[in-house]
Amino acid sequence: MAENGLASTLDAATPQPAGVEGYPGPFPVGRYAVKLRERMRDLARVCVVGEVTGARVGQGPNVYFELRDADGALPCAMWRTDFERARLTPDDLRDGAQVVAAGGCDYYVGSASASPSFRFRVQELRPAGEGDLLARLERLRRQLAGEGLFELQKRLPVARLPRRIGVVTAEGSAARRDFLAGLERRSWRGTIVWGYAPVQDRRAAPAIAAQVRDLAAFGRVDAIVVTRGGGSIADLWAFCDEALCRTVALLGVPVISAVGHDVDRTLIDDVSAVCCSTPTHAAEAAVGIDCAAARAHLSATAVRVDDHGRRAVDRRAPLAAATRRVDRALRRAVDRRGPLAMAARRIDRAGRRAVDRRAPLTTAARRVDQAGRLAVVRRARELASHSRAPRAQLNRHLVQLHQKAREMRAASRRGIDIRQGWQRRIAATVLDRKVAAARAGADRERTALAARVADLDRAARVLGERQAQALKVCRSSLDAHDPQRTLERGYAVVATPDGDPLAGTGALRAAGAFQVLMADGAVAAHVDEDREERPDGRD
Amino acid sequence: MAATETTTYETAVERLEQIIARLDSNEAGLRETLELCTEGRALIEYAAGELDAVGQGLRELKLDELIARLEGGAQPPPE
Repeated sequence: MAENGLASTLDAATPQPAGVEGYPGPFPVGRYAVKLRERMRDLARVCVVGEVTGARVGQGPNVYFELRDADGALPCAMWRTDFERARLTPDDLRDGAQVVAAGGCDYYVGSASASPSFRFRVQELRPAGEGDLLARLERLRRQLAGEGLFELQKRLPVARLPRRIGVVTAEGSAARRDFLAGLERRSWRGTIVWGYAPVQDRRAAPAIAAQVRDLAAFGRVDAIVVTRGGGSIADLWAFCDEALCRTVALLGVPVISAVGHDVDRTLIDDVSAVCCSTPTHAAEAAVGIDCAAARAHLSATAVRVDDHGRRAVDRRAPLAAATRRVDRALRRAVDRRGPLAMAARRIDRAGRRAVDRRAPLTTAARRVDQAGRLAVVRRARELASHSRAPRAQLNRHLVQLHQKAREMRAASRRGIDIRQGWQRRIAATVLDRKVAAARAGADRERTALAARVADLDRAARVLGERQAQALKVCRSSLDAHDPQRTLERGYAVVATPDGDPLAGTGALRAAGAFQVLMADGAVAAHVDEDREERPDGRD
Repeated sequence: MAATETTTYETAVERLEQIIARLDSNEAGLRETLELCTEGRALIEYAAGELDAVGQGLRELKLDELIARLEGGAQPPPE
C-alpha cells in the first residue's frame, strides 16, 4: 500500500497544526484509520491454512483465534453467525488443530476509548484434510453400493408398533434425551434396550458395531436405532466406518440411523433401513403411529363392528325360527338315515380319537418349538462369544506384548547400565594408562631438565669464571691507569685547594694558591713570581 | 383372517379397515357379516393387546446387563 496514495484520498481542508516537511498531512488519525481499513478490505480474499492457537469462543459476537505455522502467524476473527452456520464447535478450534480459513484482511479502527487492531476476517472455516475425508467417503460409498449393501436393510419390514427398541448412542447424550422426547410424542411406553457406546473417536466404530450385533443377538428387539447429534465430518467419521456399515447391512433387524443433522450424510445412513435427520425423527420412524390416537381409533372401530354385529343379529332373528324348523326337518331326515347316522357317529368318534391322539403330538411340537428357540438363543450367544473370542485373544496378545515390551525396556536398561559400567571401566583403564604414560614422560622431562640445569650451572660457572677473569683484567688495566700508581712512583699533582687539578702554568698563576698532591699526602703552596725563574722553568 | 402368530399390528389394522369397508358397504350377507364381525372382534382384541403392551409404562434396560444375565443362565426379563 502506498502511503502517498492513501494520503491523496484525504483532504487537509480542516485547519491542522503544521506538519513535517516532505510528508503530506497532518490528517486526523481517525480518518486515516478509516481509509486504511478501506484499503485493507480491498485486498484480495484468500484461503490460508495453519494451526489454531489461543481460540476464544465466548458469548460475544466474534470468535477469535490465531493461525500459525513455522514462518509466521495471523490474528483471526470470525463472526459468531458465520461460525455457527458452518456448524463448527469449540473443539474444532482446539490448540494445534489444522484448519483452512477463507476471508480477507480487516482493520478495526478503534476509538478514543478502544484500541485499534488488525484481524484476518474469516468468513468460512473447515478442518484441514476434510476434503481428503470426503474423497475417501465417496470411494467407500461407491464400493458398498456396487456390492449391493445399500439394498439389504431396505428389504426388511419395519414394524410400525414395535414392542422393544434397541438404541445405540452415547450415555447421557442430548441425542438420548431427544429420542425419548420423540417417543413421548408418540405416547409409546414399551421397552428400550440401551446399547451405550462412544460416538466420536477411534474406539467408537468398533464399539457401535459390537452393540448393534449384540442387540440383534440378545436384545430381542424389533428395530435398532443408531443416533448421535451433529458435528463435523471428522466428528461423524465413526459412522462411515466400513466394518460398521457392513455389519449393519448384513443385520437381520432393521436399523434406523439418525446421525448428525439434515445436511450430514454418513455411510451408515446409506446402508440402514431408514435414515432420519435427527434423534427425534428417529423415534417417530421407529414408532410409526401415534399410540394414543391409535387407541382412540381402535375404540371407534370396535364400536362400529359391534353395531354391525348387533344389526346382523337383529336381521338374523326372523330367520332363526325358520332355521330351527329346517334343523328339525334335517334331524328327521337324518333319523331316517339311521345306518348312515350310525356310520357318521362312528366316523365322528374315530375323528375324536384321532384328535385325542394328536394332543401329545401337539405337546411334543410345542416342546420342540421351545427347544428350538432355546437352541437359537444359545447358538446366538455362542456365535457372539466366538465373535468376541478373537478380540479377547487379541487383548491377551496385547497384554503379552505390553509385558514383553516392558521386559525388553527393563532388559535394555540393564544392558545399557552394564555397557555403561564396562565403558566406565575401560575409560578408567585407558585414563590410568595415559596418566602412567604422562608420568613417565614427565619423569623423562624432569631428568632431561635436570641435565639441562646442570649444563646451565656449569655454563654459568664457566661464564662467571670468565667474567671474573675479564674483571680482573679490567681491574689491572684500571690500576695501570690509576694516577695513584703514578704518584707512588714519585710524581706529584698540582691542584687547587679544592682539589681541582691545575694543568698549566697559566692556571697555576691564576689560582695563586695551590696544593701539591703526592703519594703519601698533600703540601700547600703558592706562586712566588719574585724568585728568579730558572731556565728549565722548574721552581 | 384370525389373529395368528404371524399377525402384526399393521396387518391386523389393515384387515380391520377392509372389514369395516365391507360391512359399511352393506353388500355382505348375513353369514358373511357375522363372520366379519367375529374376525373383526378378534383383530380388535389383538391390536388392543399390542397397544396395551406399549402403554403400560416405559421400561429401560441396559444391553450389557441383559447379556450378563443371559450369560449367567438367568431367564431374560419378561416383555
